[in-house]
Amino acid sequence: MEELFEDIEKLARAEKRVAMATLVATRGTSPKREGAKMWVGEEGRILGSVTIGGCVDARVIAESEKVLSSFKPQLVEMKLADEDAWEIGFSCAGDLDVLIEPLDLSSPKDNVLDLYRAVRAAVDNGKHAVLVTPLKESSFKLLVLEGGEISGTLGAPELDREAQTVALELVRKRTSCTVSLADSTAVFFEVHGPPPTLIVFGAGHVAMPLISLAHDLGLKTVVVDGRPRFATRERFPDVDELLIGIPSEIAETLAYTSSTFVVLTAHDYKYDLPVLRVVLPAKPAYVGLLGSERRGKAIKEFLKDGGMDESLLDQLHVPTGLDIGADTASEIALSILAEAVAIKSGRQVAFLKDRK
Amino acid sequence: MAALYSDTLLDHFRHPRNYGTLPGPTISFESFNPLCGDRIRMEVKLQDTMVQEARFKGDACAISTAAASLLTELIIGADLEEVSAISDERLISALESDIKPSRRQCALLPLEALRAGLRNYGR
Repeated sequence: MEELFEDIEKLARAEKRVAMATLVATRGTSPKREGAKMWVGEEGRILGSVTIGGCVDARVIAESEKVLSSFKPQLVEMKLADEDAWEIGFSCAGDLDVLIEPLDLSSPKDNVLDLYRAVRAAVDNGKHAVLVTPLKESSFKLLVLEGGEISGTLGAPELDREAQTVALELVRKRTSCTVSLADSTAVFFEVHGPPPTLIVFGAGHVAMPLISLAHDLGLKTVVVDGRPRFATRERFPDVDELLIGIPSEIAETLAYTSSTFVVLTAHDYKYDLPVLRVVLPAKPAYVGLLGSERRGKAIKEFLKDGGMDESLLDQLHVPTGLDIGADTASEIALSILAEAVAIKSGRQVAFLKDRK
Repeated sequence: MAALYSDTLLDHFRHPRNYGTLPGPTISFESFNPLCGDRIRMEVKLQDTMVQEARFKGDACAISTAAASLLTELIIGADLEEVSAISDERLISALESDIKPSRRQCALLPLEALRAGLRNYGR
């Protein structure tokens, strides 16, 4: 999501008129989810992607250039039957709807830049925001903030009210999608929120590549340790927050949501036990513990003896990570983040080529 | 672990006494081991020169945790003079375990925090 805001600002500095292509609906398989964006500038700059490149993106670029010429929005429906998909080299047989909107980033009348800046301000404050756009009348836009405040309009107060209700529901689901409102108006709800957060307890050698990799994946990162000599900016140049103190006490002050990944890498019961007592009941998206199956069993037994509910203990991933033969600290970090992402996405891990 | 550590040590580790924080403590000091990461904060509430209440909080090994728990029991109700006189050996003997030289630092971490807190209080 950070990428989106950076792309807009980058374009606003370099281009006057751009086409904003948004993936607003997918049917069947699609490499990207609703909300993916591609920007095509009048001067030729291209940022982002609505698929994973290739012929579909090429077609979106061509359509975007037409939109820039006419300066009228267009909903491009790409109905890709298997045969078509094969012919145009699209590897997935899915149908896509892409809304392409022309924007004049230099015009004060064009408020899209301001709307995205408002969205970014909300996200930077740790809140969600939803940008609502009718597919047939994309010049109307409504911004719904997590607290329910709205700005802009879809053209009618009753539509605004209905859209506000739908938007808040989609914030709960953290999902962008197209919804038909009561009067059959098809509306795209673009949900933005704070990036997922990775909290790592223990500033040891596995934590270092874990934080670097998470940073590259766009996660907000936090490292907690009791040792100032380990939790240093030099060892963690990419980390957003370095917190030094009693780890379990710090753990009590952090927020855990369905977008929070927690990994305990200290490999030391004196941190693992008290931190798990705080973190597991808070139910973040993922809790991983570095250590062997045997060690994990002992830790779980200890927590169980202390009265922790077995259903909470079942949420603990120990050993943490996917079985990819990880050996080095970087490989272990990769396996942990891959597992965390799979859990958050509700996916059973398998080779993509074997997916039915 | 049972062979190495006494029942007293294990009991105080598993069921630490006086664990937590005090509202408005008279003395509070946190000490840590920079390499292993043991971290203990000792808090004391004084009534005149007597320890009315004591608490500790921290993430630390079994020896450190048990030592902190035992130390709170030793000092509650004691006069500051008696508290200052608690020796390393007295705390270590309270653990009723054979504490190896390499682990003395763990056992003495809470006492180090308490002594530093007392020094700050005395200034």
